[in-house]
Amino acid sequence: MSAARAIWKGHLALGEYRAPVKMYAAVEPRTVHFRLLHAEDLAPVEQHIVRKEDGREVPKDEQRKAFALSGDTAIILQPEDLQALEPEPSRDIELCRFVPRTLLGDQWYDRPYWLGPDEDEAAYFALAEALEGQETVGIARWVMRKKRYVGALDVLDGYLMMTTLRRADQVLSFSGIEPGKAATPEANELQLAQQLVATIEGDFEPQRWRDEHRDRLYALIEAKSRGEQIAPPARKRKPKPASLVEGLRASLTAAREQRLA
Amino acid sequence: MPERRKHASRKGRDSAAARRTATRDDNAAPSARPFWSGTLTFGLVSIPVDLYSASRPRAKGMRMVDKEGHPLGRQYRCPRDGQVLSTQDLVRGYETAGGQMVTFTDEELESVAPEASRDIELQRFVPLSQIPPLYFDRPYFLAPAGRSAKAYNLLARTMERTQRVAIGTFVMRDHEYLAAILSDNGVLRAHTLRRADEIRTPHAIGLPERTAAPSQQVRAAAQAIERLTREALDMSELEDRETAALEQLAQDKQRRGQDLIEEPALAADETEDGGAQIIDLMDVLRKTLSKNAMVDTADEAPGRTGAGARPMRAQAPRRAPARASRAPAGGEGSRPTRTDARLAHASKRELYKRASDLHIPGRSQMDKAELLAAIRRAR
Repeated sequence: MSAARAIWKGHLALGEYRAPVKMYAAVEPRTVHFRLLHAEDLAPVEQHIVRKEDGREVPKDEQRKAFALSGDTAIILQPEDLQALEPEPSRDIELCRFVPRTLLGDQWYDRPYWLGPDEDEAAYFALAEALEGQETVGIARWVMRKKRYVGALDVLDGYLMMTTLRRADQVLSFSGIEPGKAATPEANELQLAQQLVATIEGDFEPQRWRDEHRDRLYALIEAKSRGEQIAPPARKRKPKPASLVEGLRASLTAAREQRLA
Repeated sequence: MPERRKHASRKGRDSAAARRTATRDDNAAPSARPFWSGTLTFGLVSIPVDLYSASRPRAKGMRMVDKEGHPLGRQYRCPRDGQVLSTQDLVRGYETAGGQMVTFTDEELESVAPEASRDIELQRFVPLSQIPPLYFDRPYFLAPAGRSAKAYNLLARTMERTQRVAIGTFVMRDHEYLAAILSDNGVLRAHTLRRADEIRTPHAIGLPERTAAPSQQVRAAAQAIERLTREALDMSELEDRETAALEQLAQDKQRRGQDLIEEPALAADETEDGGAQIIDLMDVLRKTLSKNAMVDTADEAPGRTGAGARPMRAQAPRRAPARASRAPAGGEGSRPTRTDARLAHASKRELYKRASDLHIPGRSQMDKAELLAAIRRAR
């Protein structure tokens, strides 16, 4: 694989301490993208933006976005409105604070980016080393391509990583959940469930779970490009237990047998 | 990620209406809730669940219009003759690395599609700390469906006690997802995970080999971190100031009557900001798990740990103050009640269901506003 291109350059700014960095997408989606073709002549179709009421084409510079205020009103946003909302451009990634990592639950994390050194490797690796092994993450704010971002600065495998965060009002949680009596599990059920968890406990090994659908799709593409066909996949079934306890017991036995085998 | 009908020709299941024209409705509201229904399988134990989105989209209610505010859509045309194409005229093609265009029929794609399944099979329990955040893609809430509350609680409690999360796979809208099932405060979440082969390594990106930095510089960095270290998050740093500024700008323009569109067809469906959905989930949790269930957003964090935190009501009307009071037959000047606010945020389908429960005559002919008004009259 050839080296990836940086999507952006900036400076991590922790007060006086600064480290110039390049930013790289940490995720490379492998989704299969199809193109829409005209069946008759296999020409890739063109997309046109049209008025719904009369199908009249609307050129790019006449397209606007409307912001819905309430049930039946919306406001058209003109280019000057969008310009007024644009943040001041800056190359600084401002670190606001470092907090215990446990304060950021999984729901906050959005898109991950690797940060790499930009020229000054010492400033970069010194920061990575200082942050490594600490139980804290940095909360950062920056402006990139006319948009504001909030992210979490962390270290993974010795390299700095910035993951953009969802915003406060997007992250939901629930409290006050105390189930009624009938829905409260019994002590023996809890015990059995705990034993069952123990039998299928392990490490997180993401490479174990390949996207088989994607694999089959690529195999199909491969086969079709050679003019072949591929066989459809096999299917499986499972029995259903009569009660919660019975199900837990049967699963436990099955899991243990599997372990011994 | 859950594909919202990217292509007009998406499988042969599109409605007849959609098939007639390929004008895509970019403003189509997201599909009705819950997002997905299925069964968590835990050994041989099955727990029927409904899946709801756990994060609200940021830019709510944006629509594509022209300069005068007419709604816009997308149309497919043949580049050769400019002919407007309907979905029947389209096929899907894939351009191979060698530049060859291979086409696929729906049947061929279906033959490799994941087996339609309603199961999320919990295959392995792992410590949460082992999942690097870069794997997390999209969070969903799981609510118990039917009479599964007890088994649901059993799983939630067991995961909390053992400090483990479950890894499982499931099929949703023809895609196979890998997910971590987590228990948080008695509520289960399914957080879809990226696949290992979609994550780039620093090496693959071409980052330089690690080099030991001068210890003096490491100390300087450590001190810089130290100076910025705090015990807690500051929600003002995590607020969505941009959307707030956008809302402000839109309201100012509304006051001036500038660029105002007043047309029901343009209204953003409230499902877009997730408001109605959260209320639904609250209803579900209240019914199936606990009468005291409460929803908190992170920006309301001060009350988050408090026992009586804050009732759901605080949140929905805040997103759209006009809606509840504006609704028909809402009572002039009277403060909307919690149920009223909830109704105002309900989808048409839910309103219709309530109307059916109340045996409201003529309900099948009513639009959303009429349903709402009729329900309020009937109560």
